[in-house]
Amino acid sequence: MSQHPLILLDGIVKHYRMGEEIVEALRGVDLAINANEYVAIMGPSGSGKSTLMNIIGCLDWPTRGRYILDGVDVSQLDDAELAAIRNRKIGFVFQTFNLLPRATALKNVELPLIYAGVPPQQRRQRAIAALESVGLGDRLRHKPPELSGGQRQRVAIARALVTEPSLILADEPTGNLDSKTGEEIMQLFERIWRQGNTVVLVTHEDDIARHARRIIRIRDGKIESDIVNPTPHVVEPLALER
Amino acid sequence: MRRWASQYWEILQSAIESLRANPLRSLLTSIGVMIGVAFVSLMGWALRSLDAAWESTLSSLGSDMLYVDKWNWAGGGNWRTVMNRKNITIDQAEEIARRLRSAEMVYLSADAWGRSIVHADQRASGVVIEGTMASFGMLPSTSLAEGRFFSEMEERNATSVAIIGDGIRSTLFGNRSPIGQVIRIEGRPFRIIGVMSKRGTLFTDFLDRMVYIPLPAFFALYGRYSRSITIAAKAYSPSELDILRDELTGVTRAVRQLAPNAENDFSINEAQVFRDQVANIRAVIWAVGIGLTALSFLVGVIGITNVMFVAVVERTKEIGIRRSVGAKRSSILVQFLAEAMMLCVAGAVVGVIACSLLVAVLALVLRESAEFLLPVLPAEIVVVAVVISIAVGIIAGFVPALRAARLDPVEALRYEA
Repeated sequence: MSQHPLILLDGIVKHYRMGEEIVEALRGVDLAINANEYVAIMGPSGSGKSTLMNIIGCLDWPTRGRYILDGVDVSQLDDAELAAIRNRKIGFVFQTFNLLPRATALKNVELPLIYAGVPPQQRRQRAIAALESVGLGDRLRHKPPELSGGQRQRVAIARALVTEPSLILADEPTGNLDSKTGEEIMQLFERIWRQGNTVVLVTHEDDIARHARRIIRIRDGKIESDIVNPTPHVVEPLALER
Repeated sequence: MRRWASQYWEILQSAIESLRANPLRSLLTSIGVMIGVAFVSLMGWALRSLDAAWESTLSSLGSDMLYVDKWNWAGGGNWRTVMNRKNITIDQAEEIARRLRSAEMVYLSADAWGRSIVHADQRASGVVIEGTMASFGMLPSTSLAEGRFFSEMEERNATSVAIIGDGIRSTLFGNRSPIGQVIRIEGRPFRIIGVMSKRGTLFTDFLDRMVYIPLPAFFALYGRYSRSITIAAKAYSPSELDILRDELTGVTRAVRQLAPNAENDFSINEAQVFRDQVANIRAVIWAVGIGLTALSFLVGVIGITNVMFVAVVERTKEIGIRRSVGAKRSSILVQFLAEAMMLCVAGAVVGVIACSLLVAVLALVLRESAEFLLPVLPAEIVVVAVVISIAVGIIAGFVPALRAARLDPVEALRYEA
């Protein structure tokens, strides 16, 4: 659709101070991701992939370099503006689901819409629709402890989708699931991608990364390789029984 | 605006929910505020009741009345000096009454304190027998619950009739009407012709333990010169009280033949003398009330701040989650402030309810001995208490809320309890 990429990282450097030491987590990352790509960012722990994900997800600022998300230079934004970007343009899916344990599935999915200032009526409708789209239309009133791991991750995915963001950013989304359930979640991502969303997976597992159509490997804070996946593991998009 | 409102309504709801998730902790935390609010409410209530007592004292003694007496009613002045004053004799009193020009009305009275009276086999003690004049019965501040006051004729003839106070009526007669009954004062029979309305107050509780008889009858019982006489003078209006006071002072000094440089050997009493007493009681209530209130709010603030710090740590992950889905720092700040506020408001509500019950019970139980106590908390005191508790919540919650708002979202998300 647009001529410029959805994500444009230009010489991203990130330093951390750990006590006396300065850790160089990212040492100059240049990367462009277009809309409706399906990308896996891979790397061993300590490679800087989590830092990269936090910067792409606007949870953190780069020390140097420019980050243009959807045409906006987010490296210049303040906290409130970044919060708004996270709210509208990014949907996070985490390894540990990160749901509010005391809130129902419905409330959890409504949460981003609350911060977006969507009126209650509309908020409810959109949250219900999102939950139905991940096959949890009958679990609206359940709280996370009453749901299985796979169901919890689907609630989290519904929460990520509910604001219709530009980017779905998933950090080890199957890390806490058994392989069968993990496979179902990957089928769900397949469908989300095919529906026109941009999906970025952050993982260290080849099994997961092979679903993506493009694989970027990070090592020691730099991009080691960036290839089109020659043999993507194509799964059937998750068909939902109602 | 509506966006804003809906978001903050949501915040308020989630604040209430998180308090309900820890009901016992919330309750314990807000005890400081509860007690603080209770003290504020009780202080306001006590001051209000005091004012009411003051008002009714003014009206029962008459705000336009002056009383020349050997005694200083408010207990002021050197006690020994007052003690050594010569009695005001009936002859002096009559002379003073004769000379007064700026009084609308004057009457004389004499009191015998701590007497007993008997009806059938019933005895009432701690009674004040007052010999007075028929004109006392005509004062606007003299009101009878039943019967009538004695007439000038009865006064002159020293008729053995009596008007009894409300307290004596209930001691001797309960709910029966005492009119026409006979009581014995110093062994002599008096017929009851009237009952005074209840008129004692916090400061003048003895008023309901009085028996009024004609002054000549009083002299017959106790002798003409045994008791100091009180001269009661009514001004034409409260604004002319000063003129009357000056004249009374001058006339009394003349009749008592005081040297020009001698101190007054009498007191001019008025309802206003109780004002100092009221002011003193007020000051004590204020000092004690403010002290206790400040102390309990201080304890409340410390407790709530502490619990909020704990809550912020416990909910680090939640803060990270909220930040990741788009909560601003300010939203987190407001959320935790709202929680601290809700804690305080909940404490305030419990405190106000408990106080309302306490006050209602107190007013009911003490309605005989302390009728001036109001049965309800004054409304504006309740409002003040709630406003203070909201302020306390904001003060107590601010630093923890700021810490919550400043958490780094990345670290907050990584936090595992």
